[in-house]
Amino acid sequence: MLKTSSPRNLITSDPDNKSTTTLFRQFDHKKNVFTLITTSLLALGLTACLPKEKQDAKVVINKNPYPSTYQALLTESTLLTNATILTGTGERLNNTDILFVNGKVAQVGENLSAEQATVIDVKGKWITPGIIDVHSHLGVYPNPEVESHSDGNEMTSANTSEVWAEHSVWPQDPAFQAARAGGITSLQILPGSANLFGGRGVTLRNVPSETMQGMKFSGAPYGLKMACGENPKRVYGSRKVLPSTRMGNVAGYRSAWLAATEYKRAWDKYDRDYSAGENPEAPKRDLALDTLMGVLEGEILIHNHCYKAEEMAVMIDLSNEFNYHSGTFHHAIEGYKIADLLAANGNCAAMWPDWWGFKMEAYDMVEENVAIVDAVKNSCAVVHSDSATTIQRLNQEAAKVMYRANENGFALKEEDAIKWITANAAKSLGINDEVGSLEAGKNADVVVWNMNPFSVYAKAEQVFIDGAKVFDRLDEKYQAKSDFLLGQQLDNHDTNAVSLTENISVNNAATKPASKE
Amino acid sequence: MKNTQLLTSLRYVLLGALTLTTCVVQAESIAITNATVYTVAKKGVLSQATVVLDNGKITAVYRNDEVPELLSVDTTVDAKGRILTPGFIATNNLLGLVEVGAVSNTRDSSDKKADITFDASLAFNPKSTLIAYARKGGITSSVVMPYGGEKVITGQSFVVNLSGDFDSVVMPKNAVIASLGSSEKGSRATKLQTLNNELEDAQKELTNNEKVKASNKKDNEENETESPSRADEVMYELLSGDKLLIAYADRATDILALLKLKKKFSLNLVLAGASDAVLVSDEIAQANVVVMMSAIDNLPSSFDSLHNSLTNVAKLTDAGIKVIISNSGESYNINQLRFDAGVAIANGVSETTALAAITANVADSFNLNSGRIAVGKNADLVLWSSDPFEISSKVDAMWINGKAMSLKSRQDALRERYTAETNLPRAYTK
Repeated sequence: MLKTSSPRNLITSDPDNKSTTTLFRQFDHKKNVFTLITTSLLALGLTACLPKEKQDAKVVINKNPYPSTYQALLTESTLLTNATILTGTGERLNNTDILFVNGKVAQVGENLSAEQATVIDVKGKWITPGIIDVHSHLGVYPNPEVESHSDGNEMTSANTSEVWAEHSVWPQDPAFQAARAGGITSLQILPGSANLFGGRGVTLRNVPSETMQGMKFSGAPYGLKMACGENPKRVYGSRKVLPSTRMGNVAGYRSAWLAATEYKRAWDKYDRDYSAGENPEAPKRDLALDTLMGVLEGEILIHNHCYKAEEMAVMIDLSNEFNYHSGTFHHAIEGYKIADLLAANGNCAAMWPDWWGFKMEAYDMVEENVAIVDAVKNSCAVVHSDSATTIQRLNQEAAKVMYRANENGFALKEEDAIKWITANAAKSLGINDEVGSLEAGKNADVVVWNMNPFSVYAKAEQVFIDGAKVFDRLDEKYQAKSDFLLGQQLDNHDTNAVSLTENISVNNAATKPASKE
Repeated sequence: MKNTQLLTSLRYVLLGALTLTTCVVQAESIAITNATVYTVAKKGVLSQATVVLDNGKITAVYRNDEVPELLSVDTTVDAKGRILTPGFIATNNLLGLVEVGAVSNTRDSSDKKADITFDASLAFNPKSTLIAYARKGGITSSVVMPYGGEKVITGQSFVVNLSGDFDSVVMPKNAVIASLGSSEKGSRATKLQTLNNELEDAQKELTNNEKVKASNKKDNEENETESPSRADEVMYELLSGDKLLIAYADRATDILALLKLKKKFSLNLVLAGASDAVLVSDEIAQANVVVMMSAIDNLPSSFDSLHNSLTNVAKLTDAGIKVIISNSGESYNINQLRFDAGVAIANGVSETTALAAITANVADSFNLNSGRIAVGKNADLVLWSSDPFEISSKVDAMWINGKAMSLKSRQDALRERYTAETNLPRAYTK
């Protein structure tokens, strides 16, 4: 279990949620700094001599300035019948039906019936929860891989906690569509791993949208990307600035957390004094420290690129030194060496089945890594992609682990392995109250597979997000296409041309030199 | 050279001597009986068949009704109906040239100075840990294609088997590699012009040399002809069609330009990458050019690759093109070639075609005596637990040149250490 056992309860990012008044500084977008300053000046001038100052308006940090505008697509009650269902809770149900109503799973069971529901017989097919990738750079390192769109790594300082990946997301990345065709319904977009603190990650619903906000998973906690090891020391060491060593890495983390601790103390004092009726001066806002403070308060979850056993152990101690939770270790090539420690400390580990060798820290790969981490009680093993290619077959990535492990003494079944890309992934992202399993009341994120999803021949046939169909392999109507690809493959020859002269003028226009723009 | 390096080298020399002696020992004769044999040859798929290996070659392939009553072999392996395929042949990788990508001292795949004569087979390390791991995917040999230099012609490829022996380079310098298409600096036009001009110049020189030779004969004189440079010699091999040209190109215009060059200079051409080949599949088929491509790259990764798709292998093979399925990326996970082929099958390619795309098609293109189960071929074979393309299957046995191979890799040693029962620190578990 994560130390913050239910991170979702700690979120104040939903503007409609008026109930969270006590735990955290409240969301308030109406005040602006100018008013605050003038009020405080006035207050000082008029009330300095009184025993109790008149209070200025309280300074509050808007924690959700780029709120989700996501709306489920057209949803209708749907009953899928006669499927093999992997629920994501460790169960496999044969010949079973699933009903979803108003975007939520209503029932999973045998011989269900529902009035006014669209009934689809999916006999012989398999159903799983929507697949979740906890580590993706879609939209921030999109296709085509052009410099103009390379927005995933703010490699200008070892600590860029102030940047948010969501501000780089290009929603037209064609890879979102490809991932959806692979059953991906939610995914976390992370900044890259060049920096000790890379910035905030954002969790998205994998729906087509013109804006990032239209994809944003409402209420999902932010992630903070941290990175251990070779990347930060290579990038900054080559510039002769800290860090150039692993000890430099850790010094960098500690300095930042020290500053964040001070920052939090200042805000806590401000809150306390204000509550006591005083009129304290609010601390100066700092975007980077806002993010780190969010971690110290348990609102923002750590997602730590960290390969090696000894480094993960240090990162766990670091989190204890500064009183936050070390969250999810990403890549964790050597997770198997410290599986007990990870489980005891409540860390998730998000891993590849077999990607390795490109760096020293990725040299000690074993194909059973995920299975070994998973085998410990209270573990949280996740299979991630970190790739626009393998995100399309995360089911097969999980399958590789399952089969290789079973060749070497494990007895894993499909109902176990599916958790690595559904329920455990949801837990890592702090969205497990809504998604990650097929249980009554959960969001109806559902994938219908043409066969056992752990086969190399398996394909997602239908994908539902919040009960709405977002992909159908057999119906082009449900196959979205990126703006970028639209019109790229037009036929230049128009056999239905209105007149020859019109064609000529079009051709002339096309051969004119491009304008300055 | 540092002392430690010197010691290491000496050790390798000693090891090499040992291994070489063992190599001299003839491989025993083996009969693999009761196998479902995917011959990738005329015989197609045979059930309950028997394949005999002797002295490193396949000496007999018997249908179930042809098996002689007495097989005089050293060993018999009962396949119990399991699938036997030719060993898979990987292409387009840096196997044995790079151990750890980010450790520059372990990278021998490129060199600024490299030109058409660049022979990276000299750097091949048969003891690389990547090789044993690759065998787990049923791969018995590979066409290694180094990055080489920065010129249009980057160097030459070579062929290795995955025995891990010091003599595993089968064919050094087997093809010339050229890299065309878009680049960050400059124009793709220059690349095409350079390639054309270099071929043209070499052809002129060749013609000129022949004229001089002819006139020497006629006049019985010894007019001086300059002996060709090493680079020229390779160019002449290209022009005679003796040496293959592997050309990386994605955009259709570059592919068409290469087809023109092929025609103009009678080149023996293989297209690599070829993301947008589907746009000019008829032209490629007519030119009888083999395409080497990924089966899983389906994103428009550049403006040269807007037509990347999971169905491209199917479309090209349907158009009559011989396709080689190669891995994308570096060499660490080339054992997944079979899964890539599986994805191709899931997207419209027949099982037979997919199998040929990682065996016989490679052998035919690169003139290798492997890739099929037929008499006289190298005994590079894989016995599978079940469907070779499925994630659930594994290699049960492998032979390279008739010798049974280990299927253990460094990864297994690590796993065993960390899953063993012990009261001592793990470092004592060996």
